[in-house]
Amino acid sequence: MIGKRYQKSAQWIVLLLSITLALVLTTTLVQAQSKEPIKIGVVSPVSGNYADHGLLERIGMEMALEDYGNQILGRPVSLIVADDETDPDVAARRARRLAEVDGVKFLMGGVSTSTALSVGAVAEEKKVLFIATNQNGDQVTGESARHYVFRTPPDMAILVRAGAKYVADNLGKKWFFLTHDYSWGHSGTKWARNMLGKVGASEVGEIKVPMGNRDFSSQLLTIRNSGADVLVITLAGFDNVSLLKQMNELKLYDKMKVWYTLLDLVDLYAVPIEDRQAYICAETYYRASPAMEKLNARYMKKYPKVASPVLDTATYNGWLSIKMLMEAIKKAGTADDVEKVICAMEGLTIKDNARKTPSYVRPWDHQVLTEVVFGKANPVQGNDILEVKALVPAEGVARTKEENPVNVGCKK
Amino acid sequence: MGILILSLFLNGIGLGLVYAAVAIGFSLVLGVSGVINFSHGIMYAFGAYFFWILYGNIGFWPALAITPVFVAIIGFVIERALVRRVYGLDPLFGLVITLGFATAMEEVIRMIFGPAAYSVSAPSFAKGIFLIGDFAYPQYRLFIAVMAAAMLAGVWLLIDRTNFGAVVKAGMFNSEMVGALGNNLPLLRTSVFILGAALAGLSGILAAPIWSIKSQMGTLILMPSFVIVLMGGLGSIPGTIIGGLLVGVSTSLATLIIPRFVDIIPYLLMGVIIYFRPRGLFGEQNIAE
Repeated sequence: MIGKRYQKSAQWIVLLLSITLALVLTTTLVQAQSKEPIKIGVVSPVSGNYADHGLLERIGMEMALEDYGNQILGRPVSLIVADDETDPDVAARRARRLAEVDGVKFLMGGVSTSTALSVGAVAEEKKVLFIATNQNGDQVTGESARHYVFRTPPDMAILVRAGAKYVADNLGKKWFFLTHDYSWGHSGTKWARNMLGKVGASEVGEIKVPMGNRDFSSQLLTIRNSGADVLVITLAGFDNVSLLKQMNELKLYDKMKVWYTLLDLVDLYAVPIEDRQAYICAETYYRASPAMEKLNARYMKKYPKVASPVLDTATYNGWLSIKMLMEAIKKAGTADDVEKVICAMEGLTIKDNARKTPSYVRPWDHQVLTEVVFGKANPVQGNDILEVKALVPAEGVARTKEENPVNVGCKK
Repeated sequence: MGILILSLFLNGIGLGLVYAAVAIGFSLVLGVSGVINFSHGIMYAFGAYFFWILYGNIGFWPALAITPVFVAIIGFVIERALVRRVYGLDPLFGLVITLGFATAMEEVIRMIFGPAAYSVSAPSFAKGIFLIGDFAYPQYRLFIAVMAAAMLAGVWLLIDRTNFGAVVKAGMFNSEMVGALGNNLPLLRTSVFILGAALAGLSGILAAPIWSIKSQMGTLILMPSFVIVLMGGLGSIPGTIIGGLLVGVSTSLATLIIPRFVDIIPYLLMGVIIYFRPRGLFGEQNIAE
């Protein structure tokens, strides 16, 4: 009798011990998991023609991580950088490796629409979230929009529409287009052409220029004699530095006004002050708001000798992209369930984005809407190279659902 | 329209002379030493960067005079350290060794000056533009066209009217025989390489105020130079000048008709010329010979 009672008690003790052990093991495992670092794969140019832009966007990402103490939900956050060489094939390979080998659940970075498209395809295949940080081509959130892809900078429709009315009303109505002959350049001219009827302007002509062109004198002589009031330019990179110089060399500004649908302001810093005369749409400007000036002061103190003397758009977009991801993870309460983070990202509004208009992640196409800057280049010494004419909220000028019939959001 | 065509034609002449000035050094080295010198572009970039640094400190003319000397010294070092190892070998060896050097130097420039582009202003005496009605021609373009023409004339005088030039010309036909006749062949090759480097540096100076300065500028000028040399014929000074002018004028005028495809015009021209004259317009031999 005593033996049976003893046996029953022993069974109870073993059961209780097992439950306790199981609880301890589970808690330890959960704690271990929750302390595991959150890795963000940064697919960005480290070498090649756009290495400077890549560096600038990564600086912005580091600045944003500092704001969060390099952690979220009690877990450390780290960046793993992979050089995409601004080549879509290389970018896709690097993204795949980051997802498969390093196990990242979040990707971001890049300065070219073509790399954003290839990395976006990998993101969808591997079911990881990708934020395109510095690409303006329409396709990223247009016909190639994906559930796993978000885009921080404005597309060309937003930029062109932000300036078109001012240009037609104040600079002239006979427009000549100078287009960089690849998808981004075509996007800019397409949207500018699309605005002609709406602002009462007309087209005088177009010249498409291949990438890598250094001498624009022949094109500019032709444009000079075209009778146009405004030269509408969608052209970027090293080519553009030459163009800015040669427009002044050929005294084009005496014959017509010049409007850039999008200009990287670093190009303006690269030319003498007398060459800074164009009207410009830009994504950001370091003096556009007091908060932006504060962010710029931080940038200038910490990174005094990099490619841009002041806070550049690429840096700002890198900063904002990390901030959006951190806020989405916080809102979702997890960094392990990508689907939850995607749904948390949709509709997210970042008010402390250092701008006058909050950043809003549009749910149906994953385009981030903020504001764009319209201004005129300032031919003065020093860093203040843009006279801001207007800050245009993207909400009123972005593509509508009818113009961009996609739906990649969580709610179908 | 007539005025525009005239503007474009004269613009093409100016461009062509600059292209020819860049290509002439490339052509001479290839002709005398049989080396496809892909470091020529980086010499052009060195010229632009040195000039950019010096111009701000000592002014236009002193910088214009000193920069080619610096570049020539670099040319001397490269020839001694690298290029002379491939004389007499397959031209591809020279191509690979000079391309490797140029690529490394491009990265060195990027490390020192960063990836951003820089620009220099045209000198104050040539900042204006000639305007007659719709006709327009910038003064600095006229200046560089004259300078390029003077460079080409100087090289022509040197090669055609001096003893040194006679030996160089002989070297283009049969360098081994020139050596066998008691001429100092290594010295001749070194001298031509230094001359080529100095000419590339000078071209970089002239181009800097219109095309701006960036680490890749040397790579970008290489292919047009190579095309002009192949069109004109190896080592031929008149051939290089005519090749340069053909490229300059045809691309400038093509802007009126097919602006999107102006880049392929030089290659089409080269294809046609090489098809009918495999040694180029004035060439006596091709690279493989």
